[in-house]
Amino acid sequence: MAKLVLRGFLQRKLRVLLTAIAIALGVALMAGTYVLTDTINQSFAAIFKNAAKGDDVVVSPTETLGREKRAQESPITDAMLAQVRSVSGVAEAAGAIFTQGAFLDVHRKRLTSGGAPAFIAGELPKRFESFSPVKGRFPTDASEVAIDEATADRSGLRIGQQMIVAGSAPAKSYTIVGIAKFAGGQSFGGAGTAILTPPEAQRAAGEVGRYDQIDVAAQSGITPAQLRARIRAALPATVAVRTGEQQAAKNTSDLEQNLSFLRTFLLVFAYVSLVVGAFIIFNTFSITVAQRTREFGLLRTLGASRTQIMRSVIAEGLLLGIGGAVLGLAGGIALAPALDALFKAFGADLPDSGTVVETRTIVVSLLVGTIVTVLAGLAPALRATRVSPLAAMREGVEIEPRLLSGVGVLARGVIAALVAVLLTALLGSGAVGVILFVALAVYVTVLLVRLMRGGRPSHHRVVPALAKVVGVLVTWRGITGRLARENSMRQPGRTMVTAAALTVGLALVAFVAVLADGTKATINQSVSRSFAGNLIVENSQEGNEQGIPALVAPALRKVPGVASATPIAFTLGRVSGIKDNANITAIDPSSFEHVYRVEWDKGSNATLLGLGSGGTILTKSYAKEHHLKLGQTISVLTPTNKRVALKVLGTVDEKSRLLLDLTISLPLARAAFGQREDALDFLTYAPGYGDSRVQPAVDRLLAEDFPQSRSRTAEQFKQDQAGQINTLLTLIYVLLALSVIVSLFGIVNTLILSIYERTRELGMMRAIGTSRRQVRQMIRYESVITALIGGIFGLVIGIVGALLVVTLALSGSGYVISIPVGTLVVLLLVAGIAGLLAAQLPAKRAARLNMLEALAGD
Amino acid sequence: MELSAAGNGVQPIVEARDLSRRFGEGEAAVDALSDVSVAFPTSRFAAIMGPSGSGKSTLMHILAGLDRPTSGSVRVGDVELSELNDKRLTELRRDRIGFIFQTFNLLPVLSAEENILLPLSIAGREPDREWFERLVQTVGIADRLSHRPGELSGGQQQRVAVARALIARPSVVFADEPTGNLDSKASGDVLELLRHAVDDFFQTVVMVTHDAHAASFADRLLVLADGRIVHDGHAVTADQVLDLMKAIG
Repeated sequence: MAKLVLRGFLQRKLRVLLTAIAIALGVALMAGTYVLTDTINQSFAAIFKNAAKGDDVVVSPTETLGREKRAQESPITDAMLAQVRSVSGVAEAAGAIFTQGAFLDVHRKRLTSGGAPAFIAGELPKRFESFSPVKGRFPTDASEVAIDEATADRSGLRIGQQMIVAGSAPAKSYTIVGIAKFAGGQSFGGAGTAILTPPEAQRAAGEVGRYDQIDVAAQSGITPAQLRARIRAALPATVAVRTGEQQAAKNTSDLEQNLSFLRTFLLVFAYVSLVVGAFIIFNTFSITVAQRTREFGLLRTLGASRTQIMRSVIAEGLLLGIGGAVLGLAGGIALAPALDALFKAFGADLPDSGTVVETRTIVVSLLVGTIVTVLAGLAPALRATRVSPLAAMREGVEIEPRLLSGVGVLARGVIAALVAVLLTALLGSGAVGVILFVALAVYVTVLLVRLMRGGRPSHHRVVPALAKVVGVLVTWRGITGRLARENSMRQPGRTMVTAAALTVGLALVAFVAVLADGTKATINQSVSRSFAGNLIVENSQEGNEQGIPALVAPALRKVPGVASATPIAFTLGRVSGIKDNANITAIDPSSFEHVYRVEWDKGSNATLLGLGSGGTILTKSYAKEHHLKLGQTISVLTPTNKRVALKVLGTVDEKSRLLLDLTISLPLARAAFGQREDALDFLTYAPGYGDSRVQPAVDRLLAEDFPQSRSRTAEQFKQDQAGQINTLLTLIYVLLALSVIVSLFGIVNTLILSIYERTRELGMMRAIGTSRRQVRQMIRYESVITALIGGIFGLVIGIVGALLVVTLALSGSGYVISIPVGTLVVLLLVAGIAGLLAAQLPAKRAARLNMLEALAGD
Repeated sequence: MELSAAGNGVQPIVEARDLSRRFGEGEAAVDALSDVSVAFPTSRFAAIMGPSGSGKSTLMHILAGLDRPTSGSVRVGDVELSELNDKRLTELRRDRIGFIFQTFNLLPVLSAEENILLPLSIAGREPDREWFERLVQTVGIADRLSHRPGELSGGQQQRVAVARALIARPSVVFADEPTGNLDSKASGDVLELLRHAVDDFFQTVVMVTHDAHAASFADRLLVLADGRIVHDGHAVTADQVLDLMKAIG
């Protein structure tokens, strides 16, 4: 007897562990997200603090239109630097260059990885310089460079070797004379810095006579605040003047805002896993409460009150929740570096020094893990109290946990999911999405609970029907397959909830897969429909929105066979009376029609020629949304704090998204918007020339002078775009895989509990000659059927959800619907394999069953 | 004790020699069986009785290949069980041995017909339809074949279980308290069926029971006490059985 009790306890221990892991995985991702993002934030904060070293006051360009990309010409000139120096109380002032470019080795291979930035910096006077040479020295002439230690280590660069730095000026080879180290010693992630002499840095960055910021030191006796006020008074509104501390704080908070997207992105996946974990806890508790009905009945007979019974079940949930949450928290702290590695693998190499575990991380992780567990276990706990003492004591009570199923219920669930997905897509914001998702999860859980209490067994049709269909896959394998199918239909509610855990993950995967496939198809179609040129030149660094130097287009026009090279640039503006910034495309009016098929709403290609310095073309949707009419003149604030009046000359029905809200001429963008770089160059060939002759010549020129750029044919461009989408897709898949893994634990749990219930049956089957192999097979098949049911539901919900989003939210935008049949088939296979994996342990246990005990257990 | 005491000189289908079975170790060790030798000839109905803890269930489990003896040997037909690994032993149970349990142990998800055919399904063999028809006629559940166990009475369930035990034409059928969960009417039906299987189908049946009435249906009565056979003789009436049990007490 003691042996049996011990065995029961061990069985419970395994179950408790499996259930705790189900919740711990979600908590781990949550904690890991916080740890990772806190670590990154703190690393950046430390970097900014060190970068502001010696700065009492910092002068930087005003961000007229809010935080934006620095593609504009800096308003800080040599003259302004002289002005600052003349302010009384200034001990020293220096102009700094810190601009993104590209580093390459002599073979034209990039030295920074993925999307990590490569900064071109000018050496600063000692008191401002955050770098110090660890080997060699700083450059003394225009042919020398000092490089940061991490980049040198990563690429195996040594003093005396050559490297190429490419900014806005044509690429140039430099001799490495020094390896420098950042003052704080922090990791810069994948980013790198090349330090040049100040004039050379200005030239390479394309900012001759200009600076990115001015660092100012105060004379003793003058506080930074006093000096700031004096400088502020002396300078125009095009620049912002802050104390060093203010500047570091601003940089940090800007960065945190930028990174908050990363945090939300990761948290969404953590919540998905938590919801799946909640399903599993709900299911496990339902089953164990049902199994323990007799125990509860006995306790009730002995005088235990309902509250006592409920309290005991809730206490179990509480213990489990706390245990799972603690496990998750520990796992999360361990997971943070793995997440970091994951992002590195996908090209986002961010600085991260140490491991930052904030109190908030601990509190939130523990609370969320515990609360989710207790809530999920609440309904089963309530059920436990409903056990009538006598009914429970009766011999052989068959407990069918009455649970959902039924088309109506499913439909409601699907609708709820779709509404949430839709709202998320429409409102866009990640935080709103998370809230909606959680709301949905709660709604679905409530639905389940309601059904569990009130659902009529006669409604159990969908699951058995599906099991029957899916079961065909295994029934040909004889009696084991047949029994597996029957067993999976035995308690449709249980099968459904077990499968539902997998459904959540697979629905999201399918949803994302369908939308991604549609996006790829849409891009393909857009390029085919709109691009009339032969070749596209773009920045070769994927995942980084850097452009190409404005010098590229004129250089390309000299390549034999190139008929025209049309630069396209993107900028921002704020139209008077409209709150949000408008996205602006700048084009070369005379050559644009040769490379792009504009779909005019009002106007014609001739309209382009009239753009000049006072005309604009709007998209039909932007004009409609803001009630802008043809011939109307709008006032636009530019990023360089200028105001231009633009007359609306035409509207386009743009489906390819190259022409954004406003289209203006490139000369205007350069003059009034400070646009330095181009985003793309579109090329056409002279008659008789083809890719095979022109592209190699273009590539030779780019490799020589602009190695950060590359050429793409329309086909290659489509492939690149598809490749970028696939990269993001893979990242999402990896993160969703966690929720699928969580659901596996659910399947394992349910199977173990079901096997426990069927001990006697299994004993009999073994007695009359069923081999261990057959028993294992039977359990595996049952698991596969359950997983496939979950998979099918998931795919259907995912596909329908995606289609709904496309038809409701993206209709009329030219979005092309495309169903990735191959991917979906693979997903179903993955579900099946997941089922097989989940069955391993339970199958082993079932086959090891002691026949005599199984048969004796009366 | 003579092995052939009740064997009438026929070659036994199941034969055990010097069986001992010890549970536990050291001081807590319990000898469930001590040097038991017994043989069961074909086409005979044997009943094994004995008080709780006498070793009767252990003996049956070992004879049926569900448990292994601490020492001694068991032969079923021409197969020595101690030489078999788990896989072969499982196949032997499947092909050569039939089981009837106290709690019927039908699979609730299968129909009566499927339950009867289960041993053949497990073996992946096609049923002999003629034999199947004859069996269901005999056990009297021809009109209940498509029902699931939950829709059958206890007696009907046990009759399905009897048909299941016989479907593969095993060398021997072991019945463990087959009437333990049945009322007297249903008990009588099931015992008649076992008797019928021995007389008309020439089956060998070994039944463990503590019911004197049930034992009276057998050809031979074995009584165990403290892990030893204390009586082995021809079957007797229920009253005689009761007297015998009292004497052993």
